[in-house]
Amino acid sequence: MTQAMIKVRGLSKTYTRGGETLRVLDGLNLEMEEGRFYALMGPSGSGKTTLLNMIGGLDHPDSGELIVAGEDLSAIDGGELAQWRADNVGFVFQGFNLIPVLTARENVELPLSLSPIARGARRKHAELALALVGLSDRASHRPRQLSGGQEQRVAIARAIVTDPKILLADEPTGDLDRASGDAVLDLLVRLNREFKKTILMVTHDPHAAARAQSIVHLDKGQLLRIEQNPAYVLPDQKP
Amino acid sequence: MIRLVWRNLLKHPLRALLTVGSLCIAMFLLCTLRSVVTTLNAGVNSAQQNRLWVISSVSLFVQLPPNYQEKIRQAPGVAETCKWQWFGGFYQNEKNFFGQFACDKPELLKMWPEIEVIDGSADAFVKNRIGCMLGEGLAKEFGFKVGDTLPLIGALFPGPDGAAWEFTVEAIYRPSRPTLDNRTMFFGWDYFAETFRAINGGEESDVGVVVVEAEKGRDITEVIAAIDGMFEGGPQRVRTTTEAEFQRQFVTMIGNVPRLLSFIGGGVFIAILLACVNTMLMAGREQTHDIGILKALGFTDSAMFRVLIVQSMVLCVLGGLSGILLALLSAPVLAQVLQMFFPGYTILPQTLALAGVITVLIGLFAGIVPAWNAARLRCVDALRSQA
Repeated sequence: MTQAMIKVRGLSKTYTRGGETLRVLDGLNLEMEEGRFYALMGPSGSGKTTLLNMIGGLDHPDSGELIVAGEDLSAIDGGELAQWRADNVGFVFQGFNLIPVLTARENVELPLSLSPIARGARRKHAELALALVGLSDRASHRPRQLSGGQEQRVAIARAIVTDPKILLADEPTGDLDRASGDAVLDLLVRLNREFKKTILMVTHDPHAAARAQSIVHLDKGQLLRIEQNPAYVLPDQKP
Repeated sequence: MIRLVWRNLLKHPLRALLTVGSLCIAMFLLCTLRSVVTTLNAGVNSAQQNRLWVISSVSLFVQLPPNYQEKIRQAPGVAETCKWQWFGGFYQNEKNFFGQFACDKPELLKMWPEIEVIDGSADAFVKNRIGCMLGEGLAKEFGFKVGDTLPLIGALFPGPDGAAWEFTVEAIYRPSRPTLDNRTMFFGWDYFAETFRAINGGEESDVGVVVVEAEKGRDITEVIAAIDGMFEGGPQRVRTTTEAEFQRQFVTMIGNVPRLLSFIGGGVFIAILLACVNTMLMAGREQTHDIGILKALGFTDSAMFRVLIVQSMVLCVLGGLSGILLALLSAPVLAQVLQMFFPGYTILPQTLALAGVITVLIGLFAGIVPAWNAARLRCVDALRSQA
């Protein structure tokens, strides 16, 4: 039996905007297994990104239990939470979020500078990650010298360079054309199948969601349903 | 992270260059102005303790009767006296101006042990009625050598029939302490007084200052009281001061230069601090999104604080060091240019240390607010900000 990578129990979060209190997550219960590829869908304001941020340790719940990769995230804070993020999570954002003044390789190297790995080894790791996303020849390019699809692949290389347990992707194809988006989705599927990464991808796009193994539907801060994707090909079923 | 700091600085090269440039100029000014103050103070601080200066109680510009020297010599505690008369001439044209004093030659050499004759001889200087002694800097500036004839046009005391006064260079000195500058000319009182008498129909010349050397071990305040008391009833009352006090008053005559320079230095410091704070606040705001990315990757709040502080420090230290370096490199040239007004201009190690400390302080102050903001920033808020 595959163990749960993410356990959510009674998770709630409210925001106050312009004097109005918005309940974004409302006692959410959810479990996600290790090594699976989940798509998180729902209308705007359903709490997808808030949930993703909480699972990634970027935001704190008001109440409820949140255990990710065996760590109770509501119990840790500050430097401890930052270290947990560095060790366990890789982020892929809609807007790529590369540091514009650094080259592709330097961007990928960044998370490794938090580890005790020597500079030479860091460089080697970064080059391997770039090779994995097919961008070895763009290592010395700055983000503005890359296409959107290439930028997102660099962001994926950065997300996986530390070999995290979970990849969290927030609308990773949202700013890309169909071809580039498909290439990014191919990469995520490959990371899930070949490297057994647990992936949670927020998306509005049914085409993108169709590439995931399971589709989690949220609405008004609550779990609507979880669908299994019959079209998803498991690693051992690959032709 | 150093790479990131450096790249962020170079993101706006013109802005970085302007900030570094303004800091460079500010630190250069600070070092230079501070050095002018320390140069002025050096003369005061190193003044000979037992040398006293007797001037008219009215002003330095009022002369004393010529017979006062003899009376002063009789005062208890007085070991030596020397006349000290400002001549105020120039060489060839008015631009070639330097200090010239008519003195009692043997007493001058006895009372100013800091005079080291490095060329010619003190004996020849004393014996030759028209012999003069020049500071090393002055000799170098005009190319005077021992044996040369030096004509001076007397602005205050014109020579016979308006002609130039003629002197022979007999000695060149180097001062061993900053109580004396190396751009002064000394010549004999006798030559001055005789020529003055000849020109003015036998009238005796007054004297500007009588310098007194107190006996060793004597209480200086008693000697001062004795001299001043001697002339309480006139005809000309005198004011006796220590050499340090005399120097201080002389400096104050041209305005309170140290205070003025300190004000300018303070103004420069505040202006540059505000400019650096502004630069760093702009840099901090621009990097808000990047800070969000770094925090998402696992960088801690304290790491973000360090990034901004180091960025500010690198910017300020680059500017500050270049200013200090510029001040050091230009010191020999400035020493020449300022020779007439601030002889012995030099940059003390304390001044360099002060400039270094101020540079670091500016770096810290300029970086502290953006660094604090970066540390406090919530990751999700930073990521939501415009890239």
